[in-house]
Amino acid sequence: MIEIRNLHKSFGSLQVLNGIDLSLEKGKVLVIIGPSGSGKTTLLRCLNLLETPDAGSLKLGEASIEFDGRRKIDKQQVLKLRQSTGMVFQSYNLFPHKTALENVMEAQIVVQKRDKNAARKRSLELLAKVGLSGKEDSYPHQLSGGQQQRVGIARALATDPEVMLFDEPTSALDPELVGEVLKVMKELAAEGMTMVVVTHEMKFAAEAADTVVLMDGGVILEQGPPQKVLQNPSSERASQFLNLLTAKE
Amino acid sequence: MDDRKIQIVIDSLWPMIKAALQYTITLALISFVLGLVLAVVVALVRVWKIPVLNQIAIFYVWVIRGTPLLVQLFIIFYGLPSIGIKFDPFPAAVIAFTLNMGAYNSEIVRAAIQSISKGQWEAAFSLGMTRVQALWRIILPQAARVSVPPLSNSFISLVKDTSLAYTVTVVELFQVSKQITATTYEPLLLYMEAAVIYLAICTILNALQNVMEKRLSRFSTQ
Repeated sequence: MIEIRNLHKSFGSLQVLNGIDLSLEKGKVLVIIGPSGSGKTTLLRCLNLLETPDAGSLKLGEASIEFDGRRKIDKQQVLKLRQSTGMVFQSYNLFPHKTALENVMEAQIVVQKRDKNAARKRSLELLAKVGLSGKEDSYPHQLSGGQQQRVGIARALATDPEVMLFDEPTSALDPELVGEVLKVMKELAAEGMTMVVVTHEMKFAAEAADTVVLMDGGVILEQGPPQKVLQNPSSERASQFLNLLTAKE
Repeated sequence: MDDRKIQIVIDSLWPMIKAALQYTITLALISFVLGLVLAVVVALVRVWKIPVLNQIAIFYVWVIRGTPLLVQLFIIFYGLPSIGIKFDPFPAAVIAFTLNMGAYNSEIVRAAIQSISKGQWEAAFSLGMTRVQALWRIILPQAARVSVPPLSNSFISLVKDTSLAYTVTVVELFQVSKQITATTYEPLLLYMEAAVIYLAICTILNALQNVMEKRLSRFSTQ
């Protein structure tokens, strides 16, 4: 489903991605962990081209793109890629001037040109799926953080993406609200959604991930099933980082 | 105040209000609306740094903000005819005020657009929206709300600046008060009367601004 080869990305003189090779099969869950500045968020954002890599190649579903830093990527390719991915943001980024229902309907109507009634029906289903029936007409500022994030998940699902991308989805939430969002994510995973999740939630990684990747300094330090990466890392740096994380919990 | 003065005030009321409706308000409204369209275009050119147009926009804003409105009016109405471009008074005033509003308001619109967090653009893009779709559906509605106070300010200033149009022979509110003063020799009375009419118009505009701000803040906690 996803194949990344030799991805490089720098911001000015700062090399953030230093040659990343990664692949993910359909229906699997990939969790990316790592210290601040390791490049994990940048890697995630390369998957829907919110960041454009300087070099390397990306295959996602039917899309196949080569990057060479100079040539501009064809706009239609970018739009198609973004329609087949859905992203959930750390700070939710809901549209404040629209209700929960309108947030979820927006892309269906504007991007996919679906009929309004069909979009409304689908949106109500999605809001029910994330446990927010009855909140369709609420504005984001009337919802708790956990509720807003669940609207964010419903909104990302609305375009029927092939891959769901999560950028530290629970990092901005109060601890009590983290659970309700992780629950929705676990259900999605169980239903067979292909997911890439950047997170610090080790328990989620241990329980829901098929593969865990640990990044540092723009490279992958460890890669493998959660039991191996989280319990038995082979590198010193990885052990350091994981000890820190588990000490915090 | 004696009866003669009271009579002057009463007699001059309708001519002044008529001029205010016919010229002051129409001049302000037309120029503001046209200027706002221009301001949005210029703001977008600046925000998206569209090549060539960006340089032209920067130059335009620099020149308009760096020269007095009065001088701009004179150049358009009195200066251009010598190179063959002639405008009637009202159109000349509209052009000058539109260009003026366009420049000043483009900075307001640009700041408003840039004040909307990047996350909003990213959310829109991640859903597959184009730049234009994101702008129209997500960014501009939010930027509009932010820009109501400074744009209202701008409009209220414009209403008062329309008094400058008398210099290019538009018989607007201030010119009427000058004309009546010339025949009645009561400058204090008549200029105060004109001031009161401007004040009344601006007070109504203030109230409208409050209504707009209340209505637009329905969906935010800020």
